[in-house]
Amino acid sequence: MSETMADAGADTQPLIKVENLRKLFPVSKSIFREAHDFVHAVDGIDFEIAPGESLGLVGESGCGKSTTGRMLTKLTDATSGQILLADEGELIDIASIQRSHMRRFRRRVQMIFQDPFESLNPRRTVYDTVAESLTVQRIGSVQQREERVAELLHRVGLTPPEQFLFRYPHELSGGQRQRVAIARALVIDPTFVVADEPTSMLDVSIRISIMDLMLKLAEEFNVSYLYITHDLAVARYMCDRIAVMYLGKIVEIAPTEELLSNPQHPYTRALLSAVPVPDPAHKRERIDIKGGISKALNPPPVCRFIERCPRATDHCRTSDHPEFTDLGDGHFVACYNL
Amino acid sequence: MAQTLHIESRGGRVGTPLLEVQNLVMHYGTKEGEVSAVDNVSFTLNNGEAIGLVGESGCGKTSVALTLLRLLPDNSVIKGGDIKLDGESLIDLDEEQMRRRRWRDISMVFQGAMNSWNPVYRIGDQIREALRLHWPETLTYQEETDRIGALFELVGLNPVTMERYPHEFSGGMRQRAVIAMALSCNPKVIIADEPTTALDVIVQDQILRELKKIQQELGMSIIYISHDIAVIAEVTERMGVMYAGKLVELGSTLEVFHRPRHPYSYLLLSSTPSITGPRRKLAPLEGEPPNLLNPPTGCRFHPRCPFAIDKCSSEEPGLVEVGEGHSVACWNWQEVPEIGGLQK
Amino acid sequence: MADILTPPTERLDGFDPSAVLEEPLWRIRLRLSWRSFRKNWALFSDNKMGIVGILIIALFGIMALAHPVLMATVWQDHLEGGKNVYDIRAGADSIIVTKTIVEEVTDPVTQISQIEAMFLGTGVSIPEIGDTIEAPLANPAPPVLSGVDHPHILGTDPFGGDVFSQLLFGARAAFLLGAIAALSSVALATLVGTIAAYFGGVIDTLLMRLADLVILIPLLPLLIVVSGFWNVELTMLGILIGVLGGLGGTAIILKSQALSVKVKPFIDAARIAGGGHWRIITRHIIPNVLPLSFLYMMFAVTGAIFTEAALSFLGLLNIQQSWGIMINIAHTQGYTLEGLDVWWLMLPAGLSITLFSAGFFLVGRAMDEVVNPRLRKR
Ligand SMILES: Nc1ncnc2c1ncn2[C@@H]1O[C@H](COP(=O)(O)OP(=O)(O)OP(=O)(O)O)[C@@H](O)[C@H]1O
Ligand SMILES: Nc1ncnc2c1ncn2[C@@H]1O[C@H](COP(=O)(O)OP(=O)(O)OP(=O)(O)O)[C@@H](O)[C@H]1O
Ligand code: SF4
Ligand code: SF4
Ligand SMILES: [Mg+2]
Ligand SMILES: [Mg+2]
Repeated sequence: MSETMADAGADTQPLIKVENLRKLFPVSKSIFREAHDFVHAVDGIDFEIAPGESLGLVGESGCGKSTTGRMLTKLTDATSGQILLADEGELIDIASIQRSHMRRFRRRVQMIFQDPFESLNPRRTVYDTVAESLTVQRIGSVQQREERVAELLHRVGLTPPEQFLFRYPHELSGGQRQRVAIARALVIDPTFVVADEPTSMLDVSIRISIMDLMLKLAEEFNVSYLYITHDLAVARYMCDRIAVMYLGKIVEIAPTEELLSNPQHPYTRALLSAVPVPDPAHKRERIDIKGGISKALNPPPVCRFIERCPRATDHCRTSDHPEFTDLGDGHFVACYNL
Repeated sequence: MAQTLHIESRGGRVGTPLLEVQNLVMHYGTKEGEVSAVDNVSFTLNNGEAIGLVGESGCGKTSVALTLLRLLPDNSVIKGGDIKLDGESLIDLDEEQMRRRRWRDISMVFQGAMNSWNPVYRIGDQIREALRLHWPETLTYQEETDRIGALFELVGLNPVTMERYPHEFSGGMRQRAVIAMALSCNPKVIIADEPTTALDVIVQDQILRELKKIQQELGMSIIYISHDIAVIAEVTERMGVMYAGKLVELGSTLEVFHRPRHPYSYLLLSSTPSITGPRRKLAPLEGEPPNLLNPPTGCRFHPRCPFAIDKCSSEEPGLVEVGEGHSVACWNWQEVPEIGGLQK
Repeated sequence: MADILTPPTERLDGFDPSAVLEEPLWRIRLRLSWRSFRKNWALFSDNKMGIVGILIIALFGIMALAHPVLMATVWQDHLEGGKNVYDIRAGADSIIVTKTIVEEVTDPVTQISQIEAMFLGTGVSIPEIGDTIEAPLANPAPPVLSGVDHPHILGTDPFGGDVFSQLLFGARAAFLLGAIAALSSVALATLVGTIAAYFGGVIDTLLMRLADLVILIPLLPLLIVVSGFWNVELTMLGILIGVLGGLGGTAIILKSQALSVKVKPFIDAARIAGGGHWRIITRHIIPNVLPLSFLYMMFAVTGAIFTEAALSFLGLLNIQQSWGIMINIAHTQGYTLEGLDVWWLMLPAGLSITLFSAGFFLVGRAMDEVVNPRLRKR
């Protein structure tokens, strides 16, 4: 499998290394019957993220982006495959982390959620929410926690902090809530943060300030992001590299500008040609592909994109889903007909 | 018979004014006070034209549309202004006259409509219901079916799917059916409120192209409402930028994008990431959208405006013409810098 | 992990986090709860129904508190035959009147003389016609508003007990029963519902089948059977009603609420923070279910009072005194059909049961609007 790995940079050890990760959801499960149908939400993906790097995961709704993120944060257990996390110079498999070491894992990996209205407990104050990790893991005295939370609020731009510490979520605007969610994720000094569409529910006018904040904090706290989004323009703004996902598979992965200027997979091309551009003078070449994404219910072993692919050949129809082809400079594509 | 199959815009000659909105003011009464959701909005929609209204959430885009259709909730009051369709004022019509005009002359693709199909009826029958209520003559069942089939084909759906139930449709198909329903009575104007917001980019692109085709081929007049300026850039010829219930800039889409004169439009444009052009530092728009219960005095944008001058906080700027068909409501519009051909 | 807590000050451009908080945390929290109470009260008090409910409950509260106070003060000295006239039970024997026997009445069925029956086994010799005897007043006395001889402002029951005193005492019993039943039912329902929702799977299935079972068993007949085997008194009744109510419908409703909370991203966020099951249940799910629990507590009171009244009416409970018992006595002594002539026997108790239940119901409805903002008018 290692030749299909999309390396971030060979010189540094990766922070996160995902190998052949799969998640199948059984359909029509009941206690009395074995499930025979499975949604292949994530169907064998590999990638690496270097320390301090941010990787964008883009794709249409239902392609498995959130499921990937949830596996990386151990909210969902993987069906198979490995997630390796660098810990004191060693790569450890997070599936094998014992309960007693979970807290240590929780310190290193955090998550920012999509919906700022649902991701904060409406009955807890900003202080309670941000301090939760510290309280649960019994870090510091009450006084120290208060100071740490105040510091974080200051850093995420909720100033002066004393005005925000004891507010409830309903007393904050959407943007402010997302800042609280960012503070909560960073309060424990993680090294890796999964951000699942953190700006898609926000007003257009405040998206950029949240994205800028995340970029600034990534540097200050030296964290890596897995930045999940369906918006390629946002991914371009936020990420060093972009992985394009389609029905549980990563079909193309490359450094951001390389991917945008030189897309190789037919799906990436179609996706790029469909992104609206905020310039009425911009004329673009359209690539037509059929319909919308289907559900990955018991997919046949062939290329996942075959039903919609304008380039599909007989070879595609008779072979397994293609492995990554290395195009050099960290550009990998899974397609037979380049 | 053939006429029932014909899908057209019943508007007049392309290029002549069709819908004229003048100084429209609409408030919602709430327990906390009056929400000034539409404040002094004026614009004109010409026959065969696509115009756009853009602005962030809660700025009053949907409220403008609902006021045009007079489909407002009970707690709303139209405080003033006029709406003229083909020269005839809609404001003075009584409810019954308005009801007859509503779907037939002005129809609307409501925000989130693709999720409000009644799950227990077939899609086709729900469109049939609209036809029965609003088509001027009584049609036979077969005529209705034929017309629905023609509408389906126009929006890129297979006519046989009209027998299906909403849950058997994907999101994109449901939205196409919503558009078919809006077209069902050959309206003069279609208002499309966030027509593609919940859809994936590829589906969004397909639907926008279909709408554009319908607009150009049938000479249909469409008002697009969206918070996404990229969508507005794709499909409209002229556009208005709304901020806090007010229209702050109005002009040709090309001009507003390449030479925005209002600070808000400028910041909105320069804070929108794009996949084309240089990957550059974007200018964030600071602060929070205002509360319409108690909007800022003077220019409603002044608490967030980097170009604000003294009188902005006390005096309200009106729309002034700054170029051919391009007007802006700002005291200090001369200071707004050039974006310089956003993507070049 | 002390390094987390010592911020690299050079990045904070002069901001000193230690200067932020002067007040201790508990004081801030106290203030916050007070503020949220005030806000909820403002919402609640918008609703006229709720205020009426509160007033009704307050009235009964005063009644319940008044009984012991009156007994210890104003009513203290009304002794007759060594017993207090106002004592809810003992008062029955206290009004002794002198009667002359004028006629010998024989029970048509048993063929035993009624006078014989009265004195049988008392050790007193059976009197004959023309004798004078001392006997308790076995007729209800009508209300008299003033006067030392007849100090019963709501009259007496057939045994001579003071109706007003019994009414006040009944309010106490109602509060006690309502509180026990509501608290136990809702505490149980919240716990069962939340645990079923949170853990799901087998635990959920078991708890929910149990709930179905409890719903299938009709409460009243079950309690009738139970009271045939045991001496059911007030506390026991409260707990029984609570447990049966709490495991049934309320548990299912609170479970669905807990389910809708459980799938919220903030629960995932709490897991990522490292919180265990118990912390997530107690700190994140239950606080969001609690408003609904409070609501059902109000309705549980209503249910408990009606159940008690029904069981007492049937004479199945071993309860010292309650509104239900008052009606039961009027009934068993044959006054049910006398109608308004002896209104003081049934009306005060019946009205109290209705009003007391209505009070809690109204409060529940008003709370519903606070808990479910969708019901609120704009
Ligand atoms: N808990 C679950 N049980 C069953 N199926 C699931 C579950 N979670 C996700 N799925 C399915 O797995 C697939 C991938 O879902 P996922 O949420 O990862 O998509 P996504 O890429 O994040 O989409 P979106 O952009 O809409 O958030 C979908 O088909 C979804 O229906
Ligand atoms: N029925 C109502 N009563 C009171 N206020 C209302 C009502 N409907 C809308 N509003 C308020 O009026 C303002 C304008 O709302 P509107 O729905 O027109 O905004 P919008 O621009 O369409 O926003 P979005 O992009 O979120 O759809 C908002 O501040 C909203 O809160
Ligand atoms: S492998 Fe074949 S079917 Fe798959 S994307 Fe490439 S050309 Fe299309
Ligand atoms: S009027 Fe003043 S505050 Fe308003 S947009 Fe223009 S410069 Fe800014
Ligand atoms: Mg997702
Ligand atoms: Mg709207």
